[in-house]
Amino acid sequence: MKRVPKPVFFIVALLILAFSFTALFGVSYYTGDNKNTVLKGIGDIRWGIDIRGGVEATFKPANNVDATDEQLESAKSIIELRMVSQGITDYELYADKGSDRIIVRFPWKSEDDTQNAVEAIDEISSTAQLTFRPGKSYASTDIGSDGSYVYKTPTGDTETVLMDGSYIEKAEAQYYQADDGTRKYVVSLTFKDSGDKNGKERFGEITTEYVNQTISIWMDDIMLSAPTVNSAITDGKAQIEGDFTAEEASQLAEKINAGALPFQLETSNYGVISATLGENSLLAMGYAAVIAFIIIALIMIVFYRLPGFIAVISLIGQMGLAIAAVSGYFTAIPSFTMTLPGIAGLILSIGMGVDCNVITAERIKEEIKAGRTLDGALDRGTKNSLSAIIDGNMTVIIVSIILMLVFGPSNILSIIFGESTTGTIYSFGYTLLVGVIANFIMGVFFTRIMLRSVAGFKFLRKKWLFGGAKNEK
Amino acid sequence: MKNDIQTKANSKMTVEEISNKYNGGKKIIDFVGKKKIFFGISIAVILIGIICNFVFGTRLDIQFSGGATIKFSYTGSIDQEELYSFIQAKTTDKITTSFSKDLMGNSGNNVSVQFSGNDSIETEIQKSLENDLQEKYPDNNFVCLESNSVDPSMGFNFFLKCLTAVAIASVLMVLYVTFRFKKIGGLSAGVMALVALFHDVAMIYFMYVIFQMPIDSSFIAVVLMILGYSLNDTIVIYDRVREERKLVGSKADVGDVFNLSCTKTIKRTIMTSITTLSAIVVVYVVAFVFNISSVQGFALPMMIGIVSGCYSSICIAGPLWVMWQRHKKSQKTVK
Repeated sequence: MKRVPKPVFFIVALLILAFSFTALFGVSYYTGDNKNTVLKGIGDIRWGIDIRGGVEATFKPANNVDATDEQLESAKSIIELRMVSQGITDYELYADKGSDRIIVRFPWKSEDDTQNAVEAIDEISSTAQLTFRPGKSYASTDIGSDGSYVYKTPTGDTETVLMDGSYIEKAEAQYYQADDGTRKYVVSLTFKDSGDKNGKERFGEITTEYVNQTISIWMDDIMLSAPTVNSAITDGKAQIEGDFTAEEASQLAEKINAGALPFQLETSNYGVISATLGENSLLAMGYAAVIAFIIIALIMIVFYRLPGFIAVISLIGQMGLAIAAVSGYFTAIPSFTMTLPGIAGLILSIGMGVDCNVITAERIKEEIKAGRTLDGALDRGTKNSLSAIIDGNMTVIIVSIILMLVFGPSNILSIIFGESTTGTIYSFGYTLLVGVIANFIMGVFFTRIMLRSVAGFKFLRKKWLFGGAKNEK
Repeated sequence: MKNDIQTKANSKMTVEEISNKYNGGKKIIDFVGKKKIFFGISIAVILIGIICNFVFGTRLDIQFSGGATIKFSYTGSIDQEELYSFIQAKTTDKITTSFSKDLMGNSGNNVSVQFSGNDSIETEIQKSLENDLQEKYPDNNFVCLESNSVDPSMGFNFFLKCLTAVAIASVLMVLYVTFRFKKIGGLSAGVMALVALFHDVAMIYFMYVIFQMPIDSSFIAVVLMILGYSLNDTIVIYDRVREERKLVGSKADVGDVFNLSCTKTIKRTIMTSITTLSAIVVVYVVAFVFNISSVQGFALPMMIGIVSGCYSSICIAGPLWVMWQRHKKSQKTVK
């Protein structure tokens, strides 16, 4: 048998325990009140919305409009914009071109009520319709968030719609130097100049008809601006002037671009999960993990003695590795959103790790009972159990890769079935895969090194400790 | 029986000889000989499952069928029938309500409202319902806890996608077994392993039917997990058969070789199953105490799947594989 030097056991065991400790609890220090995270632990894991609570919604074009890929992309960027403007920065957003769906998930804190979550969904999906109307009459006013008046509800003249946003190619915020040297911000519009929504032609007609009169520009129910037409505009370009700041101008341009969408978004699915339930689940799963691990450790040590003890160390290492792959401990592996099925995948991979150690220990025991020497039993036991472990783990790897391909970002089946709303199965596949890879590193490689190293200690060279009968030496 | 006598006559080694030479004189458990009992048990369970399926029917979760549920929490006590008719009056859909007590949370009681029909509901309905409930029962602190609304076409697509994922994973796993176990008749080993997997999926499915649990995405995750777990069990035994066959050689009957291999791995099979099972039982008990239905719905079928996966590897896949090998051998001798 190839001997492994005695100190190796202590070095490996200490390294595994130290690594797992930092992977579980993280390393951070405080400068004043600021927490500086050096290594990320369990506390830094990004939990999925099924754990910390959150909102999931799927939007599709209303009235079964068939959106082009470009339109869908621009709808997605508009939703992105609205999320940011609502202060939601930690979100997941997917556009599925195959089935014209946009899926969004974002966390929702427990102190905010679910009512607001539903309003947030509504607001995100309400694709504003940009309209041009004659005159500038309005029925009601509101105070905007910045304290200025917001004019609402078209009435009288403005009930007529001259043109809507679908005639506009794009809107951009621009500025020019005014005569007094200050910067003036404007929103410049470019109209479409072909197709059945020929904005260049239509806008020319409108400005010819309403020359020296006021036309108002509305977003849904709200009047954005009410310029006066100075002369007929036939080149397909127009500018909206007003007392804009740079920010206001670019916001208006974005809103108009949003209004230029040819379809409205409709909420086809939504779900609100309260964080209270999620936090309880998380705590419960934490208890479950600790209790389950203690039981596993007891079973392993009682039944397999020394190899069982080593198995517990390598299982701790396997857990540490799997958690490190999720929390973003290694800077090379980005952190991963952990969901309840993800935790289940982790538990299953630990089960595979237990199996790997049981097979090895059982085989060593068998060889000892067959009357081999300790070294011979260790040698044959580890060698003969390898093929079963590799074959068993490979099949689980196949399952997890299929899950990741089908339900993950690559979505190999999305051509046929479209994007799924439940990304949680992907996280099951991910944690299972990293767990099984960790099992290969810990359960196959390090368990064996530790076993051989430990067998070098004279006082531990008792067959009983490796599973033989009590009186055997 | 005739077949048994024939193979015994042909083989040069008796069970006793194999036992003495390869199992240290210890008794070899005759798994293959009890195959009729094993097949009988499985067929009976499957029949009961099919009958239950016809009697109770299958429930698809709104994740797959489409539809909507809203869950509210409230404090204090409430006339449940009055609450039902109050909510029913607010919507044209027929609703069903179910009440539960939240053991862990501070929220007290829960009521979940399920809307009939498979269409998703408007966000408006949820908003107004919460307001209405708060107005009607100002002292009971009605708060919307969870809501779910799924468009039927998307739900069904997701279901099909899950089935396809299971199918692809199964085919790849059989291919892997066929390739890795060429020495013990790769294809037969792969196909019989697949039969055992179908057996396990059927067991999980029937469990959902009997317990009236709706088929949801955790069903899919459990099925995939058990596929991997059960195949792992089967592979460990096949691996031992491959090894013992090399040692014993072709002198012995395949059935005896299988029994020998199975006897030698039975300890590992039991130990692994008990360890995994106890871990999942802990998860289930904790989820039960804290009333987390999602985790309970996950852990219970997992427990059934582990028992079934362990059983099907020894009692279904193995004997079937032995039957196939014997059949091939008898055909050869006839020729």
